[in-house]
Amino acid sequence: MKKIIIPVIGALLSTSAFAQIYIAKSCEISFFSKTPVEDIAAVNKAAKPLLNIVTGDLQMKIVMTAFVFEKPLMQEHFNENYVESEKFPNAFFKGKINEKIDYTKDGEYKVTATGKLTIHGIEKERTIEGMLTVDKTTITLKSTFKVMFADHGVVIPGLYSGVIPPDTEVKINAILEPYKKS
Amino acid sequence: MKIIQKKIVGLSALAFLSFAAFAQDDMLSLLDSKDGKKTHEKTIATFKDPKIINAQTTETVKKGTMNFSITHRFGNIGVKSNGGVHSLYGLDNTADIRLGFDFGITDKLTLGFGRSKQNELVDGSVKYRILSQSIDNHVPFSLALFGEMGYNPQLPLQFYSGMAENPDFKQKPEQRLSYTAQMILARKFGWRFSMELLPSYVHRNFVIANVNPNNGAKEMNDFYGIGAGARFKIVQRVAIIVDYFYILSDYRMNNTSKAFFSPLGLGIELDTGGHIFHLTFTNSAGIVENNFLPNTTDDWLKGGFKFGFNISRVFNLGHKNVVKS
Repeated sequence: MKKIIIPVIGALLSTSAFAQIYIAKSCEISFFSKTPVEDIAAVNKAAKPLLNIVTGDLQMKIVMTAFVFEKPLMQEHFNENYVESEKFPNAFFKGKINEKIDYTKDGEYKVTATGKLTIHGIEKERTIEGMLTVDKTTITLKSTFKVMFADHGVVIPGLYSGVIPPDTEVKINAILEPYKKS
Repeated sequence: MKIIQKKIVGLSALAFLSFAAFAQDDMLSLLDSKDGKKTHEKTIATFKDPKIINAQTTETVKKGTMNFSITHRFGNIGVKSNGGVHSLYGLDNTADIRLGFDFGITDKLTLGFGRSKQNELVDGSVKYRILSQSIDNHVPFSLALFGEMGYNPQLPLQFYSGMAENPDFKQKPEQRLSYTAQMILARKFGWRFSMELLPSYVHRNFVIANVNPNNGAKEMNDFYGIGAGARFKIVQRVAIIVDYFYILSDYRMNNTSKAFFSPLGLGIELDTGGHIFHLTFTNSAGIVENNFLPNTTDDWLKGGFKFGFNISRVFNLGHKNVVKS
């Protein structure tokens, strides 16, 4: 009889696999570059990062056209000429949080996530540092990291090579809660 | 009992497997099932400027911004059309100059005004974008409506020149008004190539009652035309542009007393980030529809084309999207 019960419990557990998945209820991804002429800044509030607290898998899809710039013209240039959003509509991060975190305990943890960052259709293996905060049923992820344009084949035209810096600072701030099957 | 046991083991193994596969693979698939509906992202920049060379595009000026454009057409290049070396291939002459201001009231609605050298025409225009093509072809093309009204403030001597003596004729201010209405249908075929069609209608409140001696057709207040335009990106930020109008007017067909031609423009478009530059060659002298649709009288084949340029710059007027968190 035991032989039956164990697999059944297993099956029951696996059907509730969703319980280990957290999804962002709010997320802000912004980037900022200072140039002598004007600052290049944009924010994207449409992304929904996902975290599996058992396996540590961390994944997100970022819709490039959802980056809002101060100036609509800059937004058009970003999408048309730099990241080519029609060819590469999304950026991705698919990785794992390296540290073992006790998600049952509230607290702040310094974490690193290793995985593939894909922007402009070009993958780059990255390890990104951040802070993970557990507060009852919510998990907050915060990180600031640099993205080099050249790593992802984003070309700065010669005319602006001295004006636009070769990288940009990306900030991410996401609040996650347990995924509910709708 | 044994069979049932096996079945249960099998099923639960399956459940485990599917869970394992799910955990490793793509949590992102959850987003699709959760969000459900597709977004139908709009295409970006079917054209880069509200105008190609002569033709309007489906592009509107974005909300809270103003597009300022300076357009210039020099004189004819060819010797047979008063060009040649003695006018430095037209550079000594000016066929038309226009300053234009277009305001983005919303992302879809643009109101503009401008002033041209030709006919001293003061124009006001409205453009409304009804449809925007989507990347997934849910909406297969873009559609905009364009309306323009022009007022000709020239001295009566100029405005009524060429008119036959008529003691009953009364000069009225409304005679100086002219109108153009266009429907603009555009499609972007991949990142390189965009094309558009522009069924057009022109009405002028006053025309001089000339007759085409070739077919007896009188000059009419109204006529139709159809335009076509295209943009081909050579590399990012550099494109070849072309536009053409075919005008449906019997008066303008093989008119032996005054020849009319279809406006044809060819040019290069440069996008520097802040400005859009057009370097163009066109046989039309006028820059706005109310001028170049009825009055293009130069022939490409006789060197009747002019060098010209357009510079557009977008200014932000107060409104800014908030990007700080």
